[in-house]
Amino acid sequence: MQRRLEWLRGWEGILLVLLFGIIVFNSSMTPHYLQVQNQINLFQLHIEKIIIALIMTFIIINAEIDISVASVMALAGCVMGFLYEKGLSFELCVLAGLLTGLLTGAFNGFMVAYARMSSLIVTLSGLIGYRGLAHVLLENRSVGNFPEWFDRLGQRPLIGPFPFALIVFFVLLIIALIILQWSGAGRYVFVIGNNSEVARYSGVNVRRVKMILFILSGLISAFAGLLLAARLGSIRGDTAIGTELEVITMVLLGGVSIFGGTGSLYGVLLSILIVLNLRNGMGLLNVPGENQTGVIGALLILSVLGPNIVQGIREAWSRRTIQRRTVSEEKKGG
Amino acid sequence: MDTLKRYFRPEQLRELSLIVLIVFIFLFFGSQIEGYFSPRIFNRVTNDVAIIAVVALGQTLVLLTRNYDLSVGSIVGLTAFFIGKQLTVYAGMPPILALLLSIAAGACLGLVNGLLVAYGRIPSIIVTLGTLAIYRAILVAYPGNKMVLINDLPQWISDLGSKQLFSIGEFGIRPVVAGAFVMFILFQLATSYLRFGRQLYAIGSNPEAARIGGLPSQRIVFSAFVLCGAIAGLAGFLYLVRFGNLNTAAAQGIELDSIAAAVVGGVSTNGGKGTVMGTLLGALMINLLQQSLLRWLVISNFWVEALLGLLILIAVLIDSVIINRLSTLWNQRRLEMQTEGETKTTKEKESHAA
Amino acid sequence: MTVEAKEPVLQMRHISKRFDTTQALDDVSLDLYPGEIHALMGENGAGKSTLIKIMTGVYHPDDGEILLDGKPIRVANSVDAQAYGIAAIYQEPMVYPDLNVAENIFVSHRSQGALVNWRKMYEEAENILSKLDVRLDVRMPARGLTLAAQQTIEIAKAISLNVRVLIMDEPTASLSAHEAEQLFKLARSLRRQGVSILYISHRMEEVFEIADRVTVFRDGKRISSLPREEVTKERAIREMVGRKIEDFFAKTKERRGELLMSVRDLSKANVFSGINFDVYRGEVLGFAGLIGSRRTDVGLALFGVEPADEGEIILHGKAQKIRSPERALRLGIAYITEDRRQIGLTMPMSISSNISLPVLRMYLSRFGLIQTREEDATANQYKERLSIRAPSIHHPVGLLSGGNQQKVMLSKWLNTKPQLLIFDEPTRGIDVAAKAEVHQIINELAAQGLGLILISSDMPEVLAMSDRILVMREGRQMGIFSRKEATQETILAAAMGQNSGAIEKA
Repeated sequence: MQRRLEWLRGWEGILLVLLFGIIVFNSSMTPHYLQVQNQINLFQLHIEKIIIALIMTFIIINAEIDISVASVMALAGCVMGFLYEKGLSFELCVLAGLLTGLLTGAFNGFMVAYARMSSLIVTLSGLIGYRGLAHVLLENRSVGNFPEWFDRLGQRPLIGPFPFALIVFFVLLIIALIILQWSGAGRYVFVIGNNSEVARYSGVNVRRVKMILFILSGLISAFAGLLLAARLGSIRGDTAIGTELEVITMVLLGGVSIFGGTGSLYGVLLSILIVLNLRNGMGLLNVPGENQTGVIGALLILSVLGPNIVQGIREAWSRRTIQRRTVSEEKKGG
Repeated sequence: MDTLKRYFRPEQLRELSLIVLIVFIFLFFGSQIEGYFSPRIFNRVTNDVAIIAVVALGQTLVLLTRNYDLSVGSIVGLTAFFIGKQLTVYAGMPPILALLLSIAAGACLGLVNGLLVAYGRIPSIIVTLGTLAIYRAILVAYPGNKMVLINDLPQWISDLGSKQLFSIGEFGIRPVVAGAFVMFILFQLATSYLRFGRQLYAIGSNPEAARIGGLPSQRIVFSAFVLCGAIAGLAGFLYLVRFGNLNTAAAQGIELDSIAAAVVGGVSTNGGKGTVMGTLLGALMINLLQQSLLRWLVISNFWVEALLGLLILIAVLIDSVIINRLSTLWNQRRLEMQTEGETKTTKEKESHAA
Repeated sequence: MTVEAKEPVLQMRHISKRFDTTQALDDVSLDLYPGEIHALMGENGAGKSTLIKIMTGVYHPDDGEILLDGKPIRVANSVDAQAYGIAAIYQEPMVYPDLNVAENIFVSHRSQGALVNWRKMYEEAENILSKLDVRLDVRMPARGLTLAAQQTIEIAKAISLNVRVLIMDEPTASLSAHEAEQLFKLARSLRRQGVSILYISHRMEEVFEIADRVTVFRDGKRISSLPREEVTKERAIREMVGRKIEDFFAKTKERRGELLMSVRDLSKANVFSGINFDVYRGEVLGFAGLIGSRRTDVGLALFGVEPADEGEIILHGKAQKIRSPERALRLGIAYITEDRRQIGLTMPMSISSNISLPVLRMYLSRFGLIQTREEDATANQYKERLSIRAPSIHHPVGLLSGGNQQKVMLSKWLNTKPQLLIFDEPTRGIDVAAKAEVHQIINELAAQGLGLILISSDMPEVLAMSDRILVMREGRQMGIFSRKEATQETILAAAMGQNSGAIEKA
């Protein structure tokens, strides 16, 4: 019980309170807020982002970053669209799209793990380069008219009221939770993120872990890109611009340190819920999209500023107490 | 070999190679494309480069201190929009006031960044990710219709954008380009000869040592962000002059272009390394390559973006390879010096023993 | 050297400092005189670094005062310290790798104008360096320089700031013998110029070579301050430890078993070459040599962290390619690093997580989940066996004392059930009692039939603990001595590559 209470006082506790407040507020605005269908709609709007947020959590805890995720989404979709245009059987196109994610992930992973380059720079070139390749393929066109099963999967519920993407999210969430918090692989991710040299000296195959993480990131981003194509019914080279920033914001807001080594998926889950509900609430108030993003940006800053201010106050306080004591000593010494 | 190492520091070698590459690109495409050496292309390149280079200049100052400013795109857009709106309403505002207002606005935005990073002790990625969104939101929330139209702006804006300041033969240099160039010269001098400039390098090179060694680290980082914001504000003014018509997506994405220009120009994302002139060359090379590829009929236009990504990767790879090679060279030199010293001491001791 | 009646330049009077539950300094007084090298000795935790931090303004004393030239001063931060002429150089020099030598020297000067005069800076830098009789290219970036050269820059920096009190904290710990000698020359030169030097070192030989006066700290108190002539090694140790200390645990009688590993012609370009030796079960093979002899690199090659280029490592009858720590572990080799903080332990993680890390796969269920019960059981076993002092095995390792961290590291590697264990400076920086415990453990391990390689720069330790001693110098193997042949003189001579004469003792 003691540990449970301590946990509440920490970062996740604050998020929980925040989430609670947002939901209460939103519910007061709309009577049917907490109904299942409404909540599902909430998730569906951003389902691709939150799926990617799961793997991004691993990557950031591992003290790396992948800002090419949105471009991989677009590229995978465009590869699929391009081949579909050319008349290839649709199933093969989907496969090709996923393969694209695998390849981009492998490339990113190779550069980071084996060529030892900074993941920020590698994925920055990826962000630009993969998006560029997407444009090469589809230029200014958009491709649609996908087979009926594909559109249905993306737009209609699959099991009960739950659409395919949402089910995938929950499955992935549970798998991610188990792996990160309970498995050996998860521990490796944390240790490498905290200090990759210690991990190496302890016999952990650091390169392999990083490689796998980046491949997964590419694969999942590609998958998300295909989900988006299904949901929207079409794909073009400009899809999902700026998504990477939102994904990273969600992860950092969830208490994951940008320096690696600490963080938990519970926090990220709470942060996802906060972002989704906040956006929904603001949407109900007719706040335009960019302003919503602005509010979330402010939230991100406050999330780190808050604890820092508290710590700063504590330090200043102890410094003043010491100063007072030294001064009174000097007075005594005369 | 010694004097070579003495006077040609790695950064200068880097800049030299950039110049060589630019010349090479220039000559290569000149041989491939009809009418390459025309005033029109010259204008296009210089005007494009001017804005991105100026933004990259501010970004460089921040990068040197081992920080990032991802909000510059929103700052450029917001200041451009802001000034545009003001000029629409107060058409009689003197140009110099508009310029100063733009810089001041940018400085204020940069100030917020600086406060949060330097004194709030929040990592710059997080701060500028947030302000990127916040400033863009402010732009969108700006009262009135969400556009600035060239027709509503005073005449001098379009004049500034199109008239030439002076010309070299057939090639006209517009005020925007000249201004950008002057800024680069000034800041290159500043980072080489001003104590403040050198302190930027020190902080990025070893933040711990700077803190312990008594450098006013917080103040310096803060100033870097304010400067970056002010320069981005200036770029916002240039942006308005160049494009005239603005919407809420103005200058979106320029932050990545500025980082790319700096990185290609030899600035390290780890701080402490790189020069302002290098950034200028980086921006020039990227844009020159982009414009050349656009006009090169061998490959479709859409390859430009993809190749840009590749270019950044190659630039950074070269940097790390060069670093590796240089450090091996240094190490060998060190071993030589040490053994030299050892043999000397041994000889001394032997003579003593004798 | 006779000390004329001089006024002390810096006086610490009745300084006390408390951290939560520890009294780091307790009514400590110390006088520093100009033109004198004052050595400060004491175990870890005796209060030496706390005192330095107070002198340089990083900490503030709870009680007491500091007098400069007889007048009380407040050193509130490093800027104040600089202004008062107090400077410190540490084992790890803090230079700006991207700035050149001259800039490194002058960058933290506060009294300069807004403009940088490069020519003047280069001139002044060269001046200072020539006064120190050092050859360095002032235009070179600091990145490529050796540690010793970087330390020289720090000293030059201090001189440029007109240092009056120079603190040197374990400055020779990472230097080669030659470089250390250069450092002593610098120190003597500074002494001649009237600088007061506070020299902190664990190494008795150094202290006796260079100091004019010796002060001993223990448990935050000053025990004694005496001119060097009046101090003896035994007395100093006794005062540092507070009790009479027996000699190191001598290695128990050799019971050599079968051949475990053979190394033939092991080489790594520009690092080491021609390493040849055998290791037997039940035996301790000592690796002796001066700092810089590259013994650690051989260890890293055996463990696969920095694999060798050429040569053979023969284990279990075949030549093995060891290109990763993973491989080394599977072959039964474990390497215990000297650097706990940077590469030895994951500080924020619990004791049990640290212990299980190299063999985590042994604690995984079929689905790859960690079986914490087994993990905890293992950790508790080691906690008892090695007497690790901590509230529980879930306690973060970063909060433990140095000696206990060492034990956690040892547990971690013992848990990999190694056949060959490589110890790299296992007793560096831990107090005398813990040292004895480690030696006892080494003995037990050898008795259990493990093969042990002991890399140590502590000559007495190597001599006492090893069955045979391999001596290295600058990457080359100088010879293997049996226990009978090995004496401090022969080992040292081999370590220095000479057969007579130049032994570095006063």
